[in-house]
Amino acid sequence: MSLSREAIVEGLHGIVGPDAVVTDERVLIESSVDNFRKLQNIFDVHVMPVPAAIAMPKNALEVAGILSWANENGVNVIPRTGGTATEGGLESRTPDSVIVDGSAMNEIVKVDPYNMQATVQCGVPLQALEDRVREDGLTTGHSPQSKPVAHLGGLVATRSIGQFSTLYGGIEDMVVGLEAVFPNGEICRIKNVPRRAAGPDIRHVVIGNEGALCFITEVTVKLFPYFPENNRFLGWTLKDMALGFEVLREVMVNGYKPSVARVYDPGDAGIHFSHFAAPDDCVLLFMAEGAAGIARATADGIQEIVDRHPECTQVPSEYIETWFNDLCWDASKITAEDERIRQTRNVNRTTEISADWSSINDIYQSARQRIIDEIPDITMMGGHSSHSYINGTNMYFNYFFNVVGVGPEEETEKYYLPIIGIIVEETLRRGGSIVHHHGMGKARAPWVKDEYGSSYYMLETLKTAFDPRGIMNKGTIFPI
Amino acid sequence: MSPMRIVVGFKVTPDYEALRPADWARLAAAGGPAERAEAARYVRRVLGVFDEAALELALRLRDARADHGLPTSLAACTVGGREAVPFLATLQALGFACARVDPGDAAADGGLDFAPTATAALVAACAQRLGGDVLLLGERGGPGGSGTVPFLAAEALGRPCVTGVTSLEPAEYERLRVTFTADDGPARAVAVPPCVLAVGNAVVSMVRVPTLKERLTVRDHPVAEYTAADLGVDVGALLAGSPALTSLEPIDRRRSGVVVPGGTPAEKARALYDGHLRPRLEQP
Repeated sequence: MSLSREAIVEGLHGIVGPDAVVTDERVLIESSVDNFRKLQNIFDVHVMPVPAAIAMPKNALEVAGILSWANENGVNVIPRTGGTATEGGLESRTPDSVIVDGSAMNEIVKVDPYNMQATVQCGVPLQALEDRVREDGLTTGHSPQSKPVAHLGGLVATRSIGQFSTLYGGIEDMVVGLEAVFPNGEICRIKNVPRRAAGPDIRHVVIGNEGALCFITEVTVKLFPYFPENNRFLGWTLKDMALGFEVLREVMVNGYKPSVARVYDPGDAGIHFSHFAAPDDCVLLFMAEGAAGIARATADGIQEIVDRHPECTQVPSEYIETWFNDLCWDASKITAEDERIRQTRNVNRTTEISADWSSINDIYQSARQRIIDEIPDITMMGGHSSHSYINGTNMYFNYFFNVVGVGPEEETEKYYLPIIGIIVEETLRRGGSIVHHHGMGKARAPWVKDEYGSSYYMLETLKTAFDPRGIMNKGTIFPI
Repeated sequence: MSPMRIVVGFKVTPDYEALRPADWARLAAAGGPAERAEAARYVRRVLGVFDEAALELALRLRDARADHGLPTSLAACTVGGREAVPFLATLQALGFACARVDPGDAAADGGLDFAPTATAALVAACAQRLGGDVLLLGERGGPGGSGTVPFLAAEALGRPCVTGVTSLEPAEYERLRVTFTADDGPARAVAVPPCVLAVGNAVVSMVRVPTLKERLTVRDHPVAEYTAADLGVDVGALLAGSPALTSLEPIDRRRSGVVVPGGTPAEKARALYDGHLRPRLEQP
């Protein structure tokens, strides 16, 4: 028999104390969704089940206490830190969930410049860690657009990636060790070492688990020397996305490691670059960084490659540098965007996928055209590739639509999910991955078996082994 | 019944909030318009915030008049270079007939920035050319703007001007019910076209977005292009008599903050009240 809301709150009081349990109705209502259904918060029209409480543990032992209590009582737990999720990972789909919010665990435990690693609790904002290590001339190398507001626990839980990934890698390349708590209360620490071959690398059971297997309480990430004075920016306009993908491919297969390598299609470029790009222009851009010799050689090598393509027209580097310096989203930009949505009912959404070089342009072209043809009220349909690898790249679809004829709470069903469905279909059809870096959340969970194919057996076994009672973030990764 | 003709003048400005600190330093030290333009060259362009409100108010007025069976024609005009083209395309898709006034060599390299007399003369002449019964303008074009363009345009047109406009509604006999901010608070009046209305801090401050299909529909519609000479305006002469902007500096809007001490909500509330709220409440 499930616990009443009162009994849930009482149970949490006994574990973390009343001061660490939030029951304010307004806060709970707003916490019933994340950015996947952000219009519910923007327009204050809420239809999701309201969580019973938010628990704010102060250490791993308290997290273990909450999870084992929830496990015994069949209470659904939604792990959260910075709350910047975009794919429904933080929304409540079942009544009387408990949000376990790690943002009070916000200590930078250790910065170790000699071994080039830093250990932080899960609730440390990435910006805080970045600011701290910059004092030592270092960087985390991780810079997602949400850097000012996202926390380390959530970034690791969702397999985040940053704007400089082509050089530094995704978060999975940065995490050297971590601590996580499982539903039975087991606290597990994976030690910090440069590499290991002692069986499977179990970091990857935790990284990207999206709170569906465990709660991450601490992470240790790599650090890198920071040489902003050596940064070099390069940009071109061109008329063809296929050529843009091809140039990215040539840069990658020739072994260059720019920190940023992107190509924008005309729609997306129109948002960012209309002050120098024509309406039908794509924009190709790079940033090279690192020690002076490396940055110079990287920029020179890229220049040489793009010079072989006379269809590309170089633009002053200041355009790229100025744009890049204003790219991150802080709280004021999020507030401004919310206000624009409130006034215009014009909504911006994104969906990111990855595929090999042979498939990426086909996925981009077919998904884009289908969305324009099949979805009403589209005001912009575009995208860019922003994270490249030797064998392929990602596509970050960026689209806007007007919400017409339905309430804000129905936006997801009328527009967002059908668009995601088209992108997922076109990606799966060509062998790509339906999620590049936002996580599955609850938004793309319905396609998890198609994504994994025969390897779904392995994923499902992890769930049944670590969370046999299914109390961890119901609906995330594994659909209800 | 002939439609009410509404012309909205708007300005496209650099997004000063996106300027790098180094460019702000160059901007502050700029000796003239050409140097200012160069310092702001690399940032994206945006609509002036009051102009954006004016555009949306015009659209809402058109819609409201249509609900009463009253026809309205909308036009939008801007003074400036090619940077306005994407904005004009968007406005065409929203139903505006669009015009761009090229201020010419006398105003090259940003010379019309912060030159309200010449700007107002060109906007007024363009509005006259487009046949506007009502000229809607933003109260201020952007950072450093003088806020005098609406007055000067009204003077050039010989029309009355209402400033601080926050909303517009249809009124009887092809008039407009105008809500505006007066010295002692919000006020309402009925404006009789022809007139100039300067939009201030309207609650509606963002213009709607056209769909891709609406954009495609007007893809081949031309934008009317005028030179200053076409409109009979001697920009050089007006610039010679215009006040000069001598400096432009950013205002540091960062907010300070403190972490309220206390281990429990009760302790934090006590510290907040004793340390921050009570002293303010006790102020006479």
